Amino acid sequence: MSSLSAKRRRQSAARVLRQLRHDRAAMIGFLLLALFVTMALTAPLFADKSELRAVAGRNNPDLHPPNSEFWLGTDELGRDVFALVMWGARVSLYIGLLATVVAVVIGSVLGLVAGYARGWISRVMLAIDDFFLVLPFIPLAIVLALLLGRSPTIMALVIGGTFWAGGSRLIRAQVLSLRERGYVERATALGASSTHIISRHVLPGVAPLIIANASLIVPGAILAESTLAFLGLGDRFSPSWGKVLDGAQSSGALTLNAWWYYLPPGLCIIGVVLAFTLIGNALERVFDPRLLGR
Amino acid sequence: MNRRLFIRKLIDAVVLLAMVLVFNFFLFRVVDRDPLARYRGRSKLSPEQRAAIIKRFGLDGSKWDQFVTYMSRTVRGDFGRSFDSTKPVKDEILAALPNTLTLVGISTVLTIGIGLWIGIRAGWRRGSSFDKITTPVTMALYGTPEFFLGMLFLAFLGARLGWFPTGGVSDPAAEYTGFAAVVDRARHLVLPVATLTLGYLGSYSLVMRTSMLDTLREDYLTTARAKGLRDRDVMRSHAVPNALLPSVSLIAIGFGFIIGGAITTETVFSYPGLGLETYEAINNNDLPMMQALFMFSSIAVIVFNIFADVVLAFLDPRIKVSV
Amino acid sequence: MNAPLLVVDDLNVTYRSSRGPIPAVRGVSLSLEAGETLGLAGESGSGKSSLIMALLRLVPPGTTVTGSVTMAGEDVLAMKPGRLRAVRWAEAAVVFQGAQHVLNPVRRVGQQIQEAIDCHTGSNRVDDLLEQVGIPRSRRDAYPHELSGGQKQRVMIAMALACDPELLIADEPTTALDVMVQAQVLQLLADLRSERGLAMIFITHDLSVLSTVADRLAVMYAGRLVERGPAKEMLRGAHHPYTKALAAAFPTIGDRSSRLAPSGLAGDPPDPTAVPSGCPFHPRCPIATEECAVAAVALRPLSPDWEAACIKL
Repeated sequence: MSSLSAKRRRQSAARVLRQLRHDRAAMIGFLLLALFVTMALTAPLFADKSELRAVAGRNNPDLHPPNSEFWLGTDELGRDVFALVMWGARVSLYIGLLATVVAVVIGSVLGLVAGYARGWISRVMLAIDDFFLVLPFIPLAIVLALLLGRSPTIMALVIGGTFWAGGSRLIRAQVLSLRERGYVERATALGASSTHIISRHVLPGVAPLIIANASLIVPGAILAESTLAFLGLGDRFSPSWGKVLDGAQSSGALTLNAWWYYLPPGLCIIGVVLAFTLIGNALERVFDPRLLGR
Repeated sequence: MNRRLFIRKLIDAVVLLAMVLVFNFFLFRVVDRDPLARYRGRSKLSPEQRAAIIKRFGLDGSKWDQFVTYMSRTVRGDFGRSFDSTKPVKDEILAALPNTLTLVGISTVLTIGIGLWIGIRAGWRRGSSFDKITTPVTMALYGTPEFFLGMLFLAFLGARLGWFPTGGVSDPAAEYTGFAAVVDRARHLVLPVATLTLGYLGSYSLVMRTSMLDTLREDYLTTARAKGLRDRDVMRSHAVPNALLPSVSLIAIGFGFIIGGAITTETVFSYPGLGLETYEAINNNDLPMMQALFMFSSIAVIVFNIFADVVLAFLDPRIKVSV
Repeated sequence: MNAPLLVVDDLNVTYRSSRGPIPAVRGVSLSLEAGETLGLAGESGSGKSSLIMALLRLVPPGTTVTGSVTMAGEDVLAMKPGRLRAVRWAEAAVVFQGAQHVLNPVRRVGQQIQEAIDCHTGSNRVDDLLEQVGIPRSRRDAYPHELSGGQKQRVMIAMALACDPELLIADEPTTALDVMVQAQVLQLLADLRSERGLAMIFITHDLSVLSTVADRLAVMYAGRLVERGPAKEMLRGAHHPYTKALAAAFPTIGDRSSRLAPSGLAGDPPDPTAVPSGCPFHPRCPIATEECAVAAVALRPLSPDWEAACIKL
């Protein structure tokens, strides 16, 4: 019995991959994503991490335009901007992905419980969900980051802790509609426990939604992280792209026309966000055939 | 929209507001055991000075006493004093508020208006050159952090080309009066408004486009065409009113992000509003300021949400009191 | 003799899809006199709805429509957009299938009827129209979701009459309704027909409904007409095997002969992109022989007013 469902799951996964391969937008997204992942992974090949720590007595010229030694010039502390951008990929992607995982886990669990439970539990969860949806994300994240710390992991937890509300709504709605279908009632009548029902029946129905939703949370998380970093939160010695932009802003690179400092990190952010948005939209299309033709 | 629904929404809003206040309180008190953990220069204080400051900030007594003090002060409009400037928080906020209201007000109207218009047109004529051009552009805008957009504007249109001032709300050197003062202010608003507008245009336009595409399949559009209506009227009278409905709730959530965007935009342009206050509060660890700003931004979003709910109930006759 | 109200000549409707062209209507010709009611019957997918949508050019963009549709002397397919919009609703109006989704949910029904009147500078009044279809005037400010299925259908009919058309096209107007309401709506249509001298095209897959309403009957299969003739005679004794099967599937209460006729038809209608060769009905036909799969079949006259597309007759 379980091998049959496992086989079915393999088949539908294969079908998903096949459909994605024919989706041009999705392919562009994957290509972009591959580019940035490569950037993150190969960063050590291009520059040593110690370069990111501004050391007094460094000989490098400050805010120097690109040349053969510094492909993207230097920042106001004499650091190699190229190294900053390459290593920044690691930080931005790490925080973005971890934040998404946190948001998805919290959102899915709460959504599943809210959808499956009845009565006052469900209503309370709805109220909590409403509450978090109403709170403005960035101010809340700022406050939490100020109070809890600025390390990348904490930033990811903070962002994830504020971003889960939207997804939990969707999941709750899906669980509700799945619950209306006969097999949940039948399973209960046959004596199945709630955990069994949730894991075997509800979860597979909700899983595609979770995945599609997750891929659309990532861009939001990355944008949120870059915003928080730009505002001053975040580690300047292990800077994400947003933090690099903060450096550009404070050092006056804008008025000094040091375009090599602010253009690359900004374009990278746009690129990664676009990548995940394209992939996320494609996944949505695959999982809900009614959306085809958007 | 009937009165009962409106009153219910108001009650919901007040409850939310109360929850925000409570949340706000606990957020700041629960984390630090030393109430003055973030007060600058705390190591130099004598015990008497510490006690006086703790009393002044209402940080003495049990948690419950603190809570009561906090609530009564908040309701009276006393938000304490800034850790940084030691001026009353309320005064600083009131001084900065008009600037932010102007910036956010104009930008919100523009971004929603232009965004919806683009989305409607692109969705109605899917595959047209308008759609083919605007959709990738709005997607790219959606992925652009608004502050980066601001930086580009500042660097190129402000610094390089000198078309617009690179910061501030007005020119402090020249002392304009009357009409010239208005023009000066307007010039200083152009780039920040452009930044905030374009930064959030993308999400509104994409959501509206998707909504329009869903509405295109509806049968009542065929009925309208069969009645002899022009294409334009079918779109305006039948498609758009229905397509707007799912957009309205998403627009309400989007406002929370515009608030966040105001913070970064004001920072980029050194625009003296609540956003810049937030930036300074962050960098100075000014907790009373941050607490008050958080509360105000929450209020703003709640108010906007009520407004959006009212609009939605007005647009959709199927909405009843019991949800 | 007056010229017919509507003449359709060799109409072909082909949809565009990602899988290739889908021919929904193939070479259909028919005519309708003023005041006459034509019943158009067939299973789902036979092309009935496509046919009537094409009459007023309400097909989706990209659909190919060839042939001619002459209404009051003009070819609808060749009309300029302005003239087409004027003709729509004023000369021929449609009562659509499934009144659930054919009314705008966020506009009051009175408003939607008024819209039709304003579009053609008509002089009718919404209240009068509602009264004629048996809906109290107070309901004019109701929203569609506040009305029952039968009421919505009546509103559709009232709306269709708003500009005093010569021709009313009813696409399965009773299908989504329960039997009691069905009877009421049918009665209403019959009354309107006699009061106003309306011509009607009445589409259904339930032949029993047509027995009281239609003067003439046309049966479609796989996009083609397979039989056409006087309604009463056809329902009593059809010639084409498909019509016989269709009639038997919906026995008329009180008609003893239908109780004894073979009922039910095996198989499904063919996929429009993969229609069988020769006579498209031959795979399911009880009297088919080898030559049915080979020879293309056209409508042959069996009597002055009756045609069927079967080589066995």
